[in-house]
Amino acid sequence: MQPDNVRIHLPGGLNMPPFGIHQYLALIIVGVSLWALGSVWMGLQATGQWVGTWQQQMVLHVYLPQEHKKELQALQQGLQAVDGVAQVESITREDSAQWMRQWLGNSTLDVNTLAERLPETLLVRLLDNESGQFVVDDIRDVAERMHAAMNEDEVQLLGMREVLDKAETLIWFVTVLLALAMALIVSNTLRMILLARADEVHLMRLMGAKEWFVRMPFVLEGLLLGAGAGLLAWLLLWPWVWGSSEWLAGSMVELHVGVLLLPLLFGGALLGCLGALIATARLVSPDSVVES
Amino acid sequence: MRYCFAMSERKTIIDMQQLMLRYPTGKVALSGVNLTILQGQFVYLTGESGAGKSSLLRMFYGGLRPSSGQLQVQKTDMRVAGEAAVRAVRRRTGIVFQDHRLLFSRTVFENVALPLRVQGWSNERLIPRVRKVLEFVRLDDRLWSYPEALSGGEQQRIAIARAMIATPPVVLADEPTGNLDEDTARHVLDLLMGLNELGTTVIMATHDLHLLNSHPGRVVQLHAGALVGDSHAT
Repeated sequence: MQPDNVRIHLPGGLNMPPFGIHQYLALIIVGVSLWALGSVWMGLQATGQWVGTWQQQMVLHVYLPQEHKKELQALQQGLQAVDGVAQVESITREDSAQWMRQWLGNSTLDVNTLAERLPETLLVRLLDNESGQFVVDDIRDVAERMHAAMNEDEVQLLGMREVLDKAETLIWFVTVLLALAMALIVSNTLRMILLARADEVHLMRLMGAKEWFVRMPFVLEGLLLGAGAGLLAWLLLWPWVWGSSEWLAGSMVELHVGVLLLPLLFGGALLGCLGALIATARLVSPDSVVES
Repeated sequence: MRYCFAMSERKTIIDMQQLMLRYPTGKVALSGVNLTILQGQFVYLTGESGAGKSSLLRMFYGGLRPSSGQLQVQKTDMRVAGEAAVRAVRRRTGIVFQDHRLLFSRTVFENVALPLRVQGWSNERLIPRVRKVLEFVRLDDRLWSYPEALSGGEQQRIAIARAMIATPPVVLADEPTGNLDEDTARHVLDLLMGLNELGTTVIMATHDLHLLNSHPGRVVQLHAGALVGDSHAT
């Protein structure tokens, strides 16, 4: 009969080694690293949304002075012919007056007189994913040929998308580097556990244990360690969200932390598994089977 | 006459012809060894330190590969055996070390159960089996103790229990009495003899030649890697 206070814990197979100080330390280090990565990706998500709100309204405006008003149709056709331009609309005088009325807070001023003095305005919509410098240069060339001018502030905003694309590439690079570093941290931790359990591994091999039976506990431990670190990182993201939600709401940004749970959980588990495979790759005992 | 007939009926469990072992350093550990061990024999491997006793034992469980010659262990050619074949030999071989190599962070039960654990036995089946084997070494009351709470002799008896739990046809013992006083050594040898009487082939490397008087067996003598004496040689 097994006494109540005795817990049988046989090594090998699906039985993991007990968690000790090394594992908890690795859990915290990998968890914080994953949290840093999660924070960066969440920041990118927020910036993407912020820029997205511009981009929904984002169009390029081309202005034609009143004295060249007769070239308006030719300018519209010329802009429409530029590769990457989806649509060119002419803003009517009524629309301009309406916009100006709103802008002036529905004041009693005679906005029609003011609107009369505005240049003729064309609204240029670009095709989706078109924000390249070539399209902008082509539009500028056409506009300048017809004595018109572009709104250069809008051109600068268009450039933000390119900056974001570059930032995303950089973040991917950092993610891969940190992932490798985290896999090595897990690998190093498991290596220490393996060294502490070298006698056990040696004995199991002497007794004819299969290699998967000897290595599986360490692979499972790496998997659990990585997944645990991923969960910890995800939980640590919430204070960010709670602390910044009010401020972000003002910029029409709403963070979705839920979508990061699975990537962090499975990414962490994958890293842990990779670390375990690295750690057990050269698991040699004194009496390992020698190749003939 | 009847004894000779019985011997001839026994199966060969280990057979070696012109066995040679050369380490990567170039040192020759064994050279030209011819030896046949039959099922049920109790064999002492004797010789000075460095004579090749431990190397020979290690070759019996695939820890070392012969450099040349032939070595058949339980019908497996150990020179060419793959990992699976070596694993199969190890599962049919019990090993007792001089330093017993018990796991001190694990209970007596967990230590003794290890060979069957690697063969996939469940805890429910293991408990009665381990208890029975511990009864044989008269330590069944220490099932849930930790090895550090046991004396040196008791630890070695646990190691014997571990070696015999899977009922292997062969038990290899490398100086199992080397660290024990004479009385305790005699008790340990009694156990190995008892195991042999149950039909297990026991091959024991030893320096303690005086034990041979009280516990007779076949004596194979090695010197500088060569076989120089065999009490059962024909």
